[in-house]
Amino acid sequence: MLYIHRTYCISPQQTFGQVDLETIQEPANKRLLAMEPNYEGIPPGVLRRMGRAVRMGVGASLPLIKEGLPIDGIIIGTGKGGMEDCIKFLNQIVQYEEGLLAPGNFVQSTSNAVAAQVGMMTKNKSYNSTHVHRGHAFENALIDAVMQLNQFPGKNFLLGGLDEISDFDYNIEELDGAYKKDPVSNKVLFDVDSAGSIAGEGAAVFLVNDQPADALASIRALHILHSEDEKLVADTFRQFVEKNRNAADTIDFFLSGESGDNRTRKFYTACESALPASTPVARFKHLSGEYCTASAFGLWLACRLVQGMALPAHLLKSPASVSTPQTILLYNNYKGVQHSFMLLRK
Amino acid sequence: METAELKQQLKKQIVQFLNLTSVNPDDIKDDEPLFGEGLGLDSIDSIELIVLLSREYGIEIKDPKEGRKILVDINTIAAYIEQHRTK
Repeated sequence: MLYIHRTYCISPQQTFGQVDLETIQEPANKRLLAMEPNYEGIPPGVLRRMGRAVRMGVGASLPLIKEGLPIDGIIIGTGKGGMEDCIKFLNQIVQYEEGLLAPGNFVQSTSNAVAAQVGMMTKNKSYNSTHVHRGHAFENALIDAVMQLNQFPGKNFLLGGLDEISDFDYNIEELDGAYKKDPVSNKVLFDVDSAGSIAGEGAAVFLVNDQPADALASIRALHILHSEDEKLVADTFRQFVEKNRNAADTIDFFLSGESGDNRTRKFYTACESALPASTPVARFKHLSGEYCTASAFGLWLACRLVQGMALPAHLLKSPASVSTPQTILLYNNYKGVQHSFMLLRK
Repeated sequence: METAELKQQLKKQIVQFLNLTSVNPDDIKDDEPLFGEGLGLDSIDSIELIVLLSREYGIEIKDPKEGRKILVDINTIAAYIEQHRTK
């Protein structure tokens, strides 16, 4: 069993420091860009070299580390890492004909730069791992943390999921139809019946261990699945629910990763219909936008909900029969292919 | 190019190349140490500066000992550029 004890989140909404999810921050230039804090814990000389992904990841991690518990491992999931710096470096290679290249962009662009920077800045030489499985990057990091805790009981791990919007990646994804063609307010993201979502970014980090005392929440079960088959996804979801119902966890809240993309809505609808009709359904991607590790934002939100955060009305798809959910099932899919089911309990 | 003009251009290039967003080029003194105290640059910055000199002035610094004598402050870099630039 994995218990979450602390969490920090930098996202397009006011989630870092004083949390305010009642006020919805809207996209700029069709992108939900993160509200970056001042990063007071990062020395200016280090901060100036960091790309957005690294800044967000390190910025969210440092406060958690500074709270004092020893960290026995740093495990990060990122679908694409520091893509902006990666492209800058690749462009240098072309522009200067494979000549003398400035190393800064390369150092910052690798996917493991975040976990590495956190490790170096805090002089932490313990387990340091990065998972890069696109829409399952965060889920694989979570599985890694569970396996580490099985092997090393009593240890504490920093677990994170993060991605940035880069111009290059945004253009490629837009050409691929990942985002809506016309600008859409995130306030009506779920009302627009068209292909694509809104680009998002962010970093959510968690302090996890196997100690139930004073935990914010626990992860009871996790299942990931690669499939474009709606029936297979729905059947797997039912099996997941049935298996965990036997564990006496009554699912009283469904947190959906629905993205506003009408091509992937069928998966969410199929999973919703597998639960009792009275189960409240909430959605979060109008806040986070769509990105590979948006499920980490979903998990951060789920932790807030089981801790009694007032439910903003804009989250709810169907009426909530409970004010503070005890058991939340989080379902997310990335591009209708990479699915994850996560059961979280207070 | 006059030396004063070169120094001013060099300060702007250093700020831009090293992304020193909080530094105004005009605030960098000609004899202010670039590394350690002063501007507070580090070893990665020294590599970035060597790349800058290569790209902007056609200067190749291959000997690290030589680099340490050149990359001291704006005065020393400007003097080296004036003597060795190829573009």
